[in-house]
Amino acid sequence: MDRPLLSIKDLTVDFITPDASMRAVDNMSFDVPMGKTVGIVGESGSGKSVTSLAIMRLLPQPPAHISGQILFDGTDLLKLPDDQMRKIRGDKIAMIFQEPMTSLNPVFKTGAQVAETLMLHRGMDKKTAWEKAIDLFNEVGIPNPSQKVHAYPHEMSGGQKQRVMIAMAIACDPKLLICDEPTTALDVTIQKQVLELLKGLQEKHKMSMLFITHDLGVIADVADDVVVMYRSKMVEKDKTRAIFESSKHPYTKGLIACRPDMGANPKRLLTVSDFMDEAGNGLKVTRDRVQVFEKDYEAKNGNDILLEVKDIHTHFPIKGGLFGRKVGEVKAVDGVSFQLKRGKTLGLVGESGCGKTTLGRTILRLVEPTSGSIIYDGKDVTKMGQEEMRLLRRKMQIIFQDPYSSLNPRMTVGEILTEPLVVHGLGGGKKERLDAAKALMEKVGMKANQLNRYPHEFSGGQRQRICIARALMLRPEFVICDESVSALDVSIQAQVLNLLLDLQQEFKLTYIFISHDLGVVNFISDEVGVMNKGVLVEMDRADRIYKQPREEYTKQLLGAIPKGLPKNIEAFIS
Amino acid sequence: MSAQDTKSLWADAFSRLVRDRWALISLVIVIIYAGIAVLATVGWGLPDWKTSQASEYLPPSSQFWLGTDLFGRDVFAKVIHGTKIAMSVGLVTSLIAIPIGVFIGAIAGYFGGWIDDIISWFITTFSSIPNIMLLISITLIMGKGLVSVYLALGITGWVGLARLIRGEVMKHKEREYVHAASAIGGGHFRKLFIHILPNVTHLVIINTSLQFQTAIKSEVILSYLGLGVQGEPSWGTMIDDARQELARGVWWQLAGATFAMFLVVLAFNLLGDALRDSLDPKLKGK
Repeated sequence: MDRPLLSIKDLTVDFITPDASMRAVDNMSFDVPMGKTVGIVGESGSGKSVTSLAIMRLLPQPPAHISGQILFDGTDLLKLPDDQMRKIRGDKIAMIFQEPMTSLNPVFKTGAQVAETLMLHRGMDKKTAWEKAIDLFNEVGIPNPSQKVHAYPHEMSGGQKQRVMIAMAIACDPKLLICDEPTTALDVTIQKQVLELLKGLQEKHKMSMLFITHDLGVIADVADDVVVMYRSKMVEKDKTRAIFESSKHPYTKGLIACRPDMGANPKRLLTVSDFMDEAGNGLKVTRDRVQVFEKDYEAKNGNDILLEVKDIHTHFPIKGGLFGRKVGEVKAVDGVSFQLKRGKTLGLVGESGCGKTTLGRTILRLVEPTSGSIIYDGKDVTKMGQEEMRLLRRKMQIIFQDPYSSLNPRMTVGEILTEPLVVHGLGGGKKERLDAAKALMEKVGMKANQLNRYPHEFSGGQRQRICIARALMLRPEFVICDESVSALDVSIQAQVLNLLLDLQQEFKLTYIFISHDLGVVNFISDEVGVMNKGVLVEMDRADRIYKQPREEYTKQLLGAIPKGLPKNIEAFIS
Repeated sequence: MSAQDTKSLWADAFSRLVRDRWALISLVIVIIYAGIAVLATVGWGLPDWKTSQASEYLPPSSQFWLGTDLFGRDVFAKVIHGTKIAMSVGLVTSLIAIPIGVFIGAIAGYFGGWIDDIISWFITTFSSIPNIMLLISITLIMGKGLVSVYLALGITGWVGLARLIRGEVMKHKEREYVHAASAIGGGHFRKLFIHILPNVTHLVIINTSLQFQTAIKSEVILSYLGLGVQGEPSWGTMIDDARQELARGVWWQLAGATFAMFLVVLAFNLLGDALRDSLDPKLKGK
């Protein structure tokens, strides 16, 4: 085979500031062959995005110090003068970013932004550039391209914006397309379309692709070769199939194993720490760690109904006009009914904007319902007065999605954890309250002596544990987890899911688990409800929903999940 | 990391502030001004400005660093005493304006709806009146003197801060940590005063530093127009005196007062910038 299109040799990137220096990429070497796709997987902070920015020479120097070689078509990009690099950027190497919402300039028409690239690199006049832009819109599958080129970014959906980004990227027939988490911000069904589009374009234009993602499922769908990064280092590179079937590095094994999938349900998820200790040494995984979990669907203990939601509607007014008159309404939740048994977990899945979060907040009356009733333990929550509601808050809690914004940055962890007790006048004096907080810190896998720290001193996973501890301080019976693991890396996600299951057993909790991730919901839930446009499309036992979906929408949703390659549990046991 | 070296955001911000050389110099200047103001108030250890010590309009010399005025009084001593008026105006107006601004802004931002409509209307109306006109009319109604200056500057100074706090509170009230406070049963008081306000306090601190220097400048303008301080040296009255003196080539009174004001206003501005850099969580790490 002829020489690779892109060849990276001993790439090292350091960030050096007066305060600290940090090695973001440590001695990376890999090739991207002509017409192939190489995927880089790794968790946040592993250095994968820095690698792509280094290739584009988009890292500000200083603070970045780059060494090594980046050979593109035989020339070392690191040695090129700036003006020549600018010609390569966008022309021979193009890039697609994660956030389609912010990568397009909101004040220009989308067509103009594509045409600009063409005028800049191809020297086209305005008229031909616009005509070419219409062709490109057509190629990336935007409906009505001749009209849509005149649309502004805010007039397009997220998926369409990402298509515009792709049109812009392929405008000059690049030889290499770098995709940095291009589908992470999109819903699964849209993700599937975008991935198919990218694959199609790659074959048609004979491009090479460098595909960066944290999602192993996506990688398995698109990449020929995979590079695995962990803490700035490349730990493994191989053919995609080989990575999934016989990975050698314990971190890769852990990464593959900790991903909940649609197949057999393990009792607990394996985590990276089952495969590797802190120092990076491989550990043995024994058979009892991978037991298949038979869910106890027809539970003998506690078959009583804890929560019953009857025909709940939550509508938000749309205000407009001079005096903020109501001009319409958004029907976020539009007639949902279900029952939830004590000690069980109901998973709510759906795409963004389907109303699942609003439903969760309505049940807790953080948002007032427009109509309908919520019967909790025999009493109608919607008819409760302020005092009665305050008392009920002891029993119902919520864990939010974003571990960064859900903790008050000005309070210590101790203050955060004891606050629920202070509000309700429970738990005795200050010392007793702190003792209770300490005990719970240990329960969620944190250290008891960390109570005088502030939230910013913890990592995302640790903060989410603190959020869980806060929710449990009042000893609730019912907890809503609203996308509680979505912002976490997969290996941390697995640990938190395991923790939630342990706590459910210990404290006899009933969960509503809201997520867009069908794999996670399948793992944790007894029953699953699929939501779309404010209504509950289908609700059934988890295994039935996944194996025999009845509704068209559920089938569509399940079909869109990147399957990855089936994991071979046996390969993990040593 | 042991449990001891834990750092709150405040401590973190302070350590960043003192690493900024200009901020530190500004802080020292502000502290010196404040120290002089305190000494002038207790009447201790500062040169005498009241008695005539030499003949009129002596140019700067080693004895009188900034020369003498019409009555043969030491101009340098007057500049020093002017600090007292300037700093006290800054302090008192901040003490009046900031609580009003924070309270009104927080209430408007947190409750929204008709409460916000009324307060916003009030803020908009207030800020559409030219500030200096309002100051002049207030001092004319209440009579000349320091108290009028305090009140006039105090009740016009809250508007900008109120608008700032309103916007910031609106942003924070949708944050998940505030929802979390509702979920544990916290009431409005707890959410607004215990959760949201500490997260907007940095704006208050930055604003105080800017409020301070605006007040100092406004006092100078009012005194220059003859509406301010009576019977005591202030930088404004000194600049006013200099109008007649300049024609005779007497520049030292103007130069002394202007430079004293320039230095403290600059120091407060630099300090305000540095405070924003070190306190604003958005700029952290840049």
